[in-house]
Amino acid sequence: MAFTLRSVKVPPNSASLEEARHRVFDFFRAACRSLPSVMEIYNLQDVATVSQLRSTIASEIRKNSHVTDPKVIDMLLFKAMEELGNIAEHAKQRHHIIGQYVVGRQGLVQELGTKDQGISNFLKNFYTTNY
Amino acid sequence: MALRAAILRHVRVPIQTLTLTGPKRQVRGPNGGSLRFLSSHGDDHMTKDDVIDRVLSVVKSFPKVDPSKVSPDVHFQKDLGLDSLDNVEIVMALEEEFKLQIPDLEADKIDSCLLAIEYIYNHPMAS
Repeated sequence: MAFTLRSVKVPPNSASLEEARHRVFDFFRAACRSLPSVMEIYNLQDVATVSQLRSTIASEIRKNSHVTDPKVIDMLLFKAMEELGNIAEHAKQRHHIIGQYVVGRQGLVQELGTKDQGISNFLKNFYTTNY
Repeated sequence: MALRAAILRHVRVPIQTLTLTGPKRQVRGPNGGSLRFLSSHGDDHMTKDDVIDRVLSVVKSFPKVDPSKVSPDVHFQKDLGLDSLDNVEIVMALEEEFKLQIPDLEADKIDSCLLAIEYIYNHPMAS
């Protein structure tokens, strides 16, 4: 198992939003193609189906769909590739996958749309921490 | 991959395939040779109705799609109100259903049920 199995497919910078978009779709396809292997590795056959996981990946991508800066998109893609690589080479464990990608996708508000841009920054900081 | 598919689409050669069931069928099909003998599971190539049914069932089982609106000529983004990411997701679901690997260039063009059905029906490795 190569650690660089899904090594950085994100060379220096995307020239434009369009190119970043293409990279996102390429990443999504690579992730979907690795799903059967992931189901096999972590024995998720009883807990989830490939189509559920595919929808989960799509909703994660959609959460960041409001971003317009290609460099930020590149950074997010890099993190996503890293995550996908970790999952594919069994560096995570079953409860990680179940907790992060399978359980509780229906009711959570956070996966229904883009991250909340409406409330003020003060409130957001207040909710996260005292300081 | 796409080149191979394009070539296969244009080559009509009666070939004696040595499948598991032995050499047979050196003759072209009755409808003028649109049967394919080059792939090892060329025997079970599906009918168009079969393809249509399976494609529609994949689209209908997509969680964001309203099953009553799905018909063979529906456009994913215009009629069903999906976005481009959903489009890619549907294409991936079709890849999984028909055990295919659709190259990116082709996948970008598949925008509606019609195109999907056409592509899958003409793909020699679809099953």
